[in-house]
Amino acid sequence: MTVSVWGPVHQDMTALLTGQPDDVPAVVDQLTKLQDILERVPPLLCSNPLADFNKLYLHITTTVLDRLYEGRFADPAFLSRLDVEFAARYFEALRHWSQGSAACPRVWSVLFHRVGGPDCRPLPSAAAGVNAHINFDLPFALVTTFDYFGSDPVDDGDQHADYLQINEIFADAIPGLRRGYLEKWQLLIDTINGDLDDWWQGETIEYARNVAWRNGQRLWSVRHDLPATAKERERLDSNAAALGRLLLSPLGALLQ
Amino acid sequence: MDSVGDDAPLVGRTATLDAIRTDLLDTGPGGTAAVFVTGESGVGKSRLLRETADALRAGGTAVLTGTCLDIGDASPLHPVLQALRRRGSAVTEVDGDAGALLERVSRELRAVAGERHLLLVLDDLQWADRSTRQLLLYLLAGLGDVRLSVLAAVRAESLQGTHPLRRVLAELRRLRWVRVVDLAPLDRAGTQELVTAIAGDGVEAEDADRVFKRSGGNPFVAEELARDLRDGRVELSDTLREIFLSRVDELDPQAHAVVHAVAAGVEPVEHPVLARVLTLPEDRLIEGIRNAVAHRFVVGAPDGYRLRHRLVAEVLEHQVLPAEQAVLHRRYAEALEATGSADHTRLAHHWQQAGEPQRALPSVVAAAHAAERLYGFAEAHRYWSLALDLSCDASTDRTELLAHAAESAHQCGEHQRALTRLEELAARPDGPGECEIHLRRARYLAAAGRSVTAEIEYEKALAVPACTPGEKATAAAYLAELLLHLGRYADAGARAREALRLAEADGTTADLVRASAALGFSEAFREDPDAGLAVIRHAVEIAERSGHPDDLGCAYLHLAELLTGPLNSLEEGVLVARRGAQKLAEMGVGRSYQTRLLAIAANGLFRVGQWAEAERVIDTAMRHRPSGADAVELLLARCRLWVGFGDIEAADRDLDAVATVLAGGGARHVLPMLTLRAGLAMWQGRHAEARAAVQRGLTETRSDDLVLMGILAWHGLRAEAEAHAAGGTVDPSAVRRLTTVVDRMTRGVANAAPPVRAVIDGYQDLCAAELSRIEDRHDPHPWARAAAVWDKRQQPYPAAYARLRMAEASFARKGKRSAAITALREAYATAQAMGAKPFAAEIAAVAARARVTLGEPDAVAATPAPDAGDPLGVLTGREREVLAKVAEGLTNKEIGQQLFISERTVGVHVGHIFDKLQVRTRVQASRVYLGAV
Ligand SMILES: Nc1ncnc2c1ncn2[C@@H]1O[C@H](COP(=O)(O)OP(=O)(O)OP(=O)(O)O)[C@@H](O)[C@H]1O
Ligand SMILES: [Mg+2]
Repeated sequence: MTVSVWGPVHQDMTALLTGQPDDVPAVVDQLTKLQDILERVPPLLCSNPLADFNKLYLHITTTVLDRLYEGRFADPAFLSRLDVEFAARYFEALRHWSQGSAACPRVWSVLFHRVGGPDCRPLPSAAAGVNAHINFDLPFALVTTFDYFGSDPVDDGDQHADYLQINEIFADAIPGLRRGYLEKWQLLIDTINGDLDDWWQGETIEYARNVAWRNGQRLWSVRHDLPATAKERERLDSNAAALGRLLLSPLGALLQ
Repeated sequence: MDSVGDDAPLVGRTATLDAIRTDLLDTGPGGTAAVFVTGESGVGKSRLLRETADALRAGGTAVLTGTCLDIGDASPLHPVLQALRRRGSAVTEVDGDAGALLERVSRELRAVAGERHLLLVLDDLQWADRSTRQLLLYLLAGLGDVRLSVLAAVRAESLQGTHPLRRVLAELRRLRWVRVVDLAPLDRAGTQELVTAIAGDGVEAEDADRVFKRSGGNPFVAEELARDLRDGRVELSDTLREIFLSRVDELDPQAHAVVHAVAAGVEPVEHPVLARVLTLPEDRLIEGIRNAVAHRFVVGAPDGYRLRHRLVAEVLEHQVLPAEQAVLHRRYAEALEATGSADHTRLAHHWQQAGEPQRALPSVVAAAHAAERLYGFAEAHRYWSLALDLSCDASTDRTELLAHAAESAHQCGEHQRALTRLEELAARPDGPGECEIHLRRARYLAAAGRSVTAEIEYEKALAVPACTPGEKATAAAYLAELLLHLGRYADAGARAREALRLAEADGTTADLVRASAALGFSEAFREDPDAGLAVIRHAVEIAERSGHPDDLGCAYLHLAELLTGPLNSLEEGVLVARRGAQKLAEMGVGRSYQTRLLAIAANGLFRVGQWAEAERVIDTAMRHRPSGADAVELLLARCRLWVGFGDIEAADRDLDAVATVLAGGGARHVLPMLTLRAGLAMWQGRHAEARAAVQRGLTETRSDDLVLMGILAWHGLRAEAEAHAAGGTVDPSAVRRLTTVVDRMTRGVANAAPPVRAVIDGYQDLCAAELSRIEDRHDPHPWARAAAVWDKRQQPYPAAYARLRMAEASFARKGKRSAAITALREAYATAQAMGAKPFAAEIAAVAARARVTLGEPDAVAATPAPDAGDPLGVLTGREREVLAKVAEGLTNKEIGQQLFISERTVGVHVGHIFDKLQVRTRVQASRVYLGAV
């Protein structure tokens, strides 16, 4: 374990990560503070790739919070819980990383590794974070959320509709991931091998989130089976990590 | 053949052990405490549990130990029931409901504990089933009335991913009396000490150091490496896997067989079972066991054999051929059958692993039924699904299995599965009729939140010729209920009428009650309360004739809800609720209904300001030992009282208990909990906390829940105003958000039903008034308006609050003092009568500032405590008041006018007074009264 993965802000980081927000306003608050810390991580400071992702995530969560206040969701209790569970996974990955724990998902390590440089373009960095968060964290967050409510992920219900609303928020936030960039991205995907290609047939966030919903349903069906869950987790992690590496490779710069 | 003696001495855990012991004995206000030990496999969790249990046992604590099983499908409450079984108490089925089971288990636990404190030790909690987790939360919330501490171990690896315990622990660790201890590996010195203890003092420092490096301080690995060192074995390996494999290889054939057999078994493996599984001659068997114990693989206890470490099983699993494994399992199954075991779960497991689905099936079905008897619907559902997997398409009982699987999925919230199973069921040639399928599908869809499709499905049931009038009545009644929830009152009314018409011919009482309730509410929401009331009263009569607890409970519940809800006829609602509960109690049935009725009564009493009476009702209800949502409802009601009384400690305790139960899930109660938190924080001057609770509440409130929005917005604005008044800062963005919510309410209220509008009006007035306070306008008018609205709704608390603020504003403006003084005194009298201490104190403070004397509290309002010799002791406070008026010779109408209640309500009170005093005329009643005072 390295002495301090976060350099001079290590203490601030550790202190911040002891907090475990349990509502959306608290998540926004934690992300805001995190942004401030991340922008002080040397040597890249403001241009570190994690800060790029965090900024985007903060923006998205703030939008979710605004919509909650506006009463735009059919089942706000569900959506809030999902948001909290979702964020908890990101914070936990950070915590593991800070402690040098092997439990840190690979898909996140890929991005965390780049915090110390070399410099990376903001869009692919943010996309790599989004990849980790949606393709890996989200299915798990869905399962724990549904488990909390004692119900299951049913297609076409209120909760599914609320869930899909988040797609809009993502799409608005990342114009770079919309239509115009798809061909380039396809090109990238084509350069790597089979498994990933099958899995990643579509590329928009919207698609990824539906993949997450389906992965969530799949996880749900095996959630009582610890080995099966572990296997599924492994599969999701390695697939998403492969994509993350790709996004952060020089090829990823194509996206910009 | 006990194992404890030959353990290496415990190393490097003295501080942890002490801390855990202290934490376990340091129970919270609910009389419970919990420590959860997490850590990687082999780090020493089980050992720590054992050592702690020994220490506490020696100190006079009663200890009960259970271990969760890793066989995937364990039976409900396995570890706890197993622990109890070892003490000779068996719980196999309980009449009633899931709550009755929890109560029964608590009773057993109390019996074990006797006068002592109880420690419940649960190892390998990561494998616990859902019912065990729920029992745990029930006990920790203090609902079982067992003073106990829980010490549990959880493997850290399994907390990743989606494990439900992860969330439970995250929620619980916020509580003061819960600790989560993350057990770290040993440090260098600790490892060295362990190595020396095992391999002796002669160990080279560098060897010990190597052990530390290779084991990473994991005591399990370190221990084994140290043994290698001691025995002069060449170190070949440092993964546990390799260590074990080389050790197993050294065993003689019998011992080898024993280890393999125990690894494949469900622990504890009883000796006779093992003897049948291994076809060894007796002396060889004994020798093998001795050897396996000596080599530290197996430990023996009176109830059977266990592996010293379950990891061995995981390692060996990959070592044996599938065919060998299958044979072992088959032998187990045969052995269990031969020894006459009734452990269906275990049998099912072995037959299945033996690759003999046909033979597993009966056990799986039996296990499913057994789980249902213990109200473990999630477990039952898994068994039914398993049974389906085991049976083939052509098998005759598949249809029945599908029906069970669908229903159990519905019961445990697996909606998608329920629907899928139902489709399979519908496709069976010998499946249920078209009508039943429509009805069930509709019910499942409604539960899954797909109301549009559910509605269509009910309509189909109503349209198909195959449906009998009785079935159609059921469909129409359910549909009416659904429409009511969707706020379509006119449609709901029409369907309810249809249901009543259909049910007249051959409907069940349940349908009649359901339809009447829907009709009653829809009428009430559409401004014809009397028509609505008449229908539900009729339903109550029908239910009383049927005498079925569900019908009775349901009918009374609806009537009480209608009265205390949309009709705002609080006193009568309270009376009805109490009478319903009383009836059911006399019949000794419907525990959950009784609790819910009493909760309604308590909440009604709270609103009319009869707090002492409300407390008594809650006490009674608590004696029913409610669980789950019912318990949360009551705890919240009681907490509301504590907040009002200003008993902060008790309020905190109940909020903790609520949070504990809710850690297992349940969103419906989070919002009321948050309003209470906000209320409590405000009395303590913790405005930021109040603000945070309100904000969270607002983000999680559905936009059609106007009443909740009203309460939250008022709490929020009040918190800002109070912060401002205390010289703190107002959060402008919070105020902006809150005013947005008030606007949303204004928009929403335009389409709301009149009874809802009436409540919202009250909150809107309060919100407007708080805003004027935040803006320093010192305007008494909005407060006067709010007071008038709440007076009209007969809710003294908010009315008195508005009066206080009105007086305060008048004083600040130096306006007319006399009106302000009157208002302040009225408010004070109300506060005193209710026992609202913090509120009364605040009034007194305002009065002192304004140099106003408040005078003596109104003597009539304070209810004297009932004493045993008092013939009026059986009456409630309100009943005494009514009786006093009766004795003055007033008519019901006059009494109603004087007490601000309806003539009808007075009639009901008088009826109760007659019942309780066992008199038949007003004159007799007056005589009793005059004789007593
Ligand atoms: N502090 C210690 N000092 C000496 N021996 C220890 C210590 N901790 C653990 N051991 C020994 O290490 C072995 C493994 O410990 P234990 O069975 O408690 O692990 P565990 O954490 O329960 O693992 P699992 O998660 O696999 O159940 C046991 O033989 C135990 O006696
Ligand atoms: Mg253990």
